[in-house]
Amino acid sequence: MTDIQASKSSQDDCASTSSIQSKSSSVLSVENLTTSFRSDQGKVTAVSNVSFELAKGEFVGLVGESGCGKSVTSKSIMRLLPDKVTEYAADGKILLDGQDLLKFSESQMRDIRGNRIAMIFQEPMTALNPVFTIGWQLEEALVYHTKLSKKDRRLRVIELLKMVDIPSPERRADEYPHQLSGGMRQRVVIAMALACEPEILIADEPTTALDVTIQAQILRLMKDLKDRTGTAILLITHDLGVVAQTCDRVVVMYAGQVVEQASVQKLFHDPAHPYTKALLESIPRSGRKQKGKRLATIPGIVPALFDMPSGCRFADRCDFRQDRCVAELPEIQTIEEQHLARCHFPVHSTSKNRQPAHSIAEGEV
Amino acid sequence: MSGAAKQSRAWRKFLKHKPALISAVVIVIYVTVALAVIFGNLVTIDDCERRIGPKDISGFGWKQDPERQRQSIEWYIDQIEQPLARAEKKAARKSANNEKQSDDKLLDELRSIEFGRLVPQEFSLAQLRTEVDAAWQSVDQLNEYEDMNQESADDAEVGAQIQSVLDSALLKARSLYKPLESSAAFKRSVNLSLGTDRQGRSIFLRSIYSIRVAILVGVVTGVIAVTIGTVLGLMAGYFGGWIDGFVTWLYSTFASIPNIVLLMLLAIMFRGGEIDDWINSWTGNRLEWLIGGRMDETLIPVFVAFSATFWIGPCRVIRGETMKLRESEYVQAAQVMGYSRTRILLRHVLPNISHLMLINFSLLFIGAIKSEVILSFLGIGVQKGASWGLMINSARDEVLVGFFWQIGAATALMFGLVLAFNILSDAMQDILDPKHV
Repeated sequence: MTDIQASKSSQDDCASTSSIQSKSSSVLSVENLTTSFRSDQGKVTAVSNVSFELAKGEFVGLVGESGCGKSVTSKSIMRLLPDKVTEYAADGKILLDGQDLLKFSESQMRDIRGNRIAMIFQEPMTALNPVFTIGWQLEEALVYHTKLSKKDRRLRVIELLKMVDIPSPERRADEYPHQLSGGMRQRVVIAMALACEPEILIADEPTTALDVTIQAQILRLMKDLKDRTGTAILLITHDLGVVAQTCDRVVVMYAGQVVEQASVQKLFHDPAHPYTKALLESIPRSGRKQKGKRLATIPGIVPALFDMPSGCRFADRCDFRQDRCVAELPEIQTIEEQHLARCHFPVHSTSKNRQPAHSIAEGEV
Repeated sequence: MSGAAKQSRAWRKFLKHKPALISAVVIVIYVTVALAVIFGNLVTIDDCERRIGPKDISGFGWKQDPERQRQSIEWYIDQIEQPLARAEKKAARKSANNEKQSDDKLLDELRSIEFGRLVPQEFSLAQLRTEVDAAWQSVDQLNEYEDMNQESADDAEVGAQIQSVLDSALLKARSLYKPLESSAAFKRSVNLSLGTDRQGRSIFLRSIYSIRVAILVGVVTGVIAVTIGTVLGLMAGYFGGWIDGFVTWLYSTFASIPNIVLLMLLAIMFRGGEIDDWINSWTGNRLEWLIGGRMDETLIPVFVAFSATFWIGPCRVIRGETMKLRESEYVQAAQVMGYSRTRILLRHVLPNISHLMLINFSLLFIGAIKSEVILSFLGIGVQKGASWGLMINSARDEVLVGFFWQIGAATALMFGLVLAFNILSDAMQDILDPKHV
């Protein structure tokens, strides 16, 4: 989990994204990230010991239910959390090409943001400034991060809009956000994020606010762009369907910890962590087999941030719980190559010998 | 281009909106007049301080009661009578001393006196005396009536008699003066169109000069107060922390002092002239150079007092809106793009609160004008020249005796401006609101 040999390789600047995509070289590696907030009730740790990597041109999904720390993780990477109340643990690192972002000053961070790491938000309706034309807003990013001339900027704006499949970009560039549909706005937001050809794009639930057809278009677009520009994408979502469609690799989070990490095929066909398994089971399916069955759910609730159990955080809700789970926090262990899980008793296919400790006859009403 | 399309849509809507159109025209007229007074010296302070005719003339040639008419006629004769008497005394003294002295010089002196742009006829001294005496006689005919107002009201026939005597006396009085050229006559009739006040000053000129004061107070106070409010509100809302605490404390403190008390205090502070002296000596006579006189003779105390209290409103509103915008997605997006805080503040937050600045300006503009009138009425506002407040103040006694021209002119002009501005603001909301078709 700690191979940072590749991260030291390239120190490229914004505009020179190399087209060569080597899967092994990781542009971003998050190591033992622990983010906590000072509050009136004491220190609250929202994210603890999160580690994952993002390789060049890779599409990674960060999945988890609400409040599991997905957004805090992404905002920690961007260093967007308010300095006054946020604390990062000393051994945590966020390495961008070998440089630790957590040690960067605010002005150094400003050079990174938008330039090398870009981010797009959930709500395309409000993510654009209503008083300026979209052309102006796209241009602003170029003004700030590049030294292009006015004419070149205009050309680049048109090019960007064309890139995200906006029809008649010359005309659209002079329109205001309210004249665009939601899907178009999200395209513009993506174009804006990609304006400086960043190495990493963090997409925080980019399709949640869109309807399903537009959602598919946007996801396809993001995938296309990733292939074309070599930008690594970290997709934050709670929609497993979206993940299955687009991602190469998935990181599953639960209660501020990474519980499983695997390639998409592996994760969906052979999950190792009981939480992932339960999540997959709780996706509504159609078909004859499901008829008359009740939708599987995960009983219980996520433990509160103030009293996290000392053992496995999922233990309370786990069908396969054993004494050790409550007593001892499992470490991340490699199940097989490229497949990690934080579980004492992984449930994947090779360890079929285990049965749920308190098996309920699921699905049979 | 769609931006142009949106503008033209608003423009079309504006042209269709009759009240908006009318009030816009009214405001344009007011502003033009104000600009003409400020830059073109359309009306000077001297113009509105000068006595141009008998006191308490009604406007628009409105028929006055016989007693007032008689007073007017007497004023016209008296204007010549006094310098004439002095000239005659001089001539008598000179002839007693056997000095040779032509009447011409005395007459020139007499003629050089302007009685509100009126100049005596080119008679010799003796001739002028006979004419003046004749005029006095025709006025004296009225002495046979004890109470002209009462008698003419009681009996129509007597009333007609009195009126005919008055008319002939007026003709006599008028004939003492050189007939005016047509342009000068027109100018005089315009100046007298709204009548005169207690001191015989033109109400028309005074109310026109007051437009200058009103627009100046409205615009300057509005701009300064909105600017202060915006800067402080933006900083408080965006940076939060101790800046927010300080700004909140500042405006709470200012808001807790009753507005009018603070205004009075500041206005009175400037009255003594000590502050002027102090600033002047401290800056090496810069103040004198800048405003050419004492501060309280200008509008500066009014500007200072109003700006010091009026920024609270915009500051509050803008602080709240900035706090809201700070958390908005597009500000976060700008943060994610790596823009600096100043840039976000000026290019992303500021344009989005510009509508609040406009609204607050239009509110403050009206508020400042009304407050200026109130302050001037109380005698601590405008000190020199004219203002609607001063006019209303000096009209207090006149109203009691049924002379309403001064207060009428002042309030009508103020009413017109305030109403036009309110209607326009209201209409602009309908016109510019994209959801309102």
